[in-house]
Amino acid sequence: MFALIDANSFYASAEQVFDPAVRRRPLVVLTNNDGCICALSDEAKQLGIKKFGPYYQSEQILRRHNATIRSSNYALYDDLSNKMMRVIGRFGPRQHVYSIDECFLDLRRWQPTMSWERYANAIRDTVFTELRLPVSIGIGATPTLAKAASFAAKQLGSKCGISVLRDATATEAVLKQLEVQQVWGIGKRLAARLNAMHIHSAWALSQASARQLRQYFSVEVERTVRELNGVVCLDWDTLPLNKQQLFSTRAFGAPVTSLSALRQALAWHGERIALKLRQQNCGVKTLTAFAHANPFAKHDPFHRSTLHTFEEPTSDTRDIVGTLTQLAPKLFESGVLLHKCGAGAIDIIDSKVLQKDLFAHSTRTPALMACMDAINRKFGTNTLGMAAKGQHAPWHMKRQFLSPQYTTNWRHIPIINCE
Amino acid sequence: MLKVIPVYAQAGINGFESPAAEYRELALNLDELLIEHPTATFIGRAKGDSMTGVGIFDGDLLIVDRAALPGTLDVVVANLNGSFVCKLYNRERQQLLSPGTGQRAYQLHQGDVFEVEGIVVRSVRLHRFARQLSQCLR
Repeated sequence: MFALIDANSFYASAEQVFDPAVRRRPLVVLTNNDGCICALSDEAKQLGIKKFGPYYQSEQILRRHNATIRSSNYALYDDLSNKMMRVIGRFGPRQHVYSIDECFLDLRRWQPTMSWERYANAIRDTVFTELRLPVSIGIGATPTLAKAASFAAKQLGSKCGISVLRDATATEAVLKQLEVQQVWGIGKRLAARLNAMHIHSAWALSQASARQLRQYFSVEVERTVRELNGVVCLDWDTLPLNKQQLFSTRAFGAPVTSLSALRQALAWHGERIALKLRQQNCGVKTLTAFAHANPFAKHDPFHRSTLHTFEEPTSDTRDIVGTLTQLAPKLFESGVLLHKCGAGAIDIIDSKVLQKDLFAHSTRTPALMACMDAINRKFGTNTLGMAAKGQHAPWHMKRQFLSPQYTTNWRHIPIINCE
Repeated sequence: MLKVIPVYAQAGINGFESPAAEYRELALNLDELLIEHPTATFIGRAKGDSMTGVGIFDGDLLIVDRAALPGTLDVVVANLNGSFVCKLYNRERQQLLSPGTGQRAYQLHQGDVFEVEGIVVRSVRLHRFARQLSQCLR
């Protein structure tokens, strides 16, 4: 069996852990730059507010109901996520952390001595006791079935947030209630094509011929069908870890109209990309940079992007930031209100398979970058960096409603009333 | 917290191995003593003087353990009507006590929102100025 443990409205729940005043009340968390709503408490959902909608559309109704608004507090979420994963990790021999708020337990070679329901209850109660985070749990014979069970636990009105696909009957009952699009790995487009083949429910998909679907679609769809039938096809160890492309993009806190501000913002993105490349032991061969105006604004659309190819793949912050700084004028036009910019490594090469160019001369030594990374790890993320990104960053993320970093910053630890 | 056992490489050819090398152990780590359940513990800061009777003063650090077993009389951090308070909690009588003030016990009643957040298992007095806490948001 596999278990999928998933925190309910994780960001919203995390905001309520150290602030009892906002518990059991409508609360929404906004994305970077406070643009969209990315998480809602149950009470906010009951107001009919939709996830991923723009904030301004719901601002009035939220205010009318005296809802709490929070900016994304990643320092807090990351710390609570790590602790949650450690708590859950105690319940099984093999754990795979899938995202910030969900993880799998591989229970193939080990079984609890109690029933699956009691086991799931114990996980849920322990996470709540230790962290005040509510979780849902799905248990099934494969990761895909565990994911389907988890969906059932949340959406199909299971009271306790737990769903166990113990046997064929239980599995069939749940799969019949799931639309094909709700199956893990089946996206919107794929679902439309499956619908055209009269496959509408997860159950119908499980009954289709895996081999035939492989011919129409891909080996991934074949695997999904086999997983729905209880055959484990996914293996964490073989899943590709390194990303094929790396992007750092962000909307500006306030519109940018000067070249120097754009240059600084690109330098900031460059630093982030270079660091991610080094963490993955990769180098970038082709780099892209772009800037655009607000596509929803009334004025003319403006979008520019440009490419740069390095002679030899690099992960050196100086190369990447230097290049982006030089590309900035190509993206800039005076009089345009820039809304967003970013950079991306679109051709990444693993350092292990890197072919040295005989004629390229690189003066870069990895030791300096390793030293910089070590200093930043020890003393905090922005201790050492490129001056190109500037000292003050008015274009920086807007996080107007940020809560304190209760667990990672001494200055922000919760105050407890003893009066 | 990362625990590293410092073992230095010894090729065995220089002959001057430290006689104490075999006895090297981890230095004492306060976390080990103060925090029994790392995932279930958080640190807060006391504000006010109602708990001086149990040795908790204004500005002290409170180590709050959500997984500690409850007793009949515990120093707890609780959510009382939407804010965190530190009180001595008498479970049997459902009373919150403020030892050291002469204040009367607070009797919990039906209308109160009351949840025990965790048990204060340790508190830490800072007898000298701590730079990290100098700008504590309070």
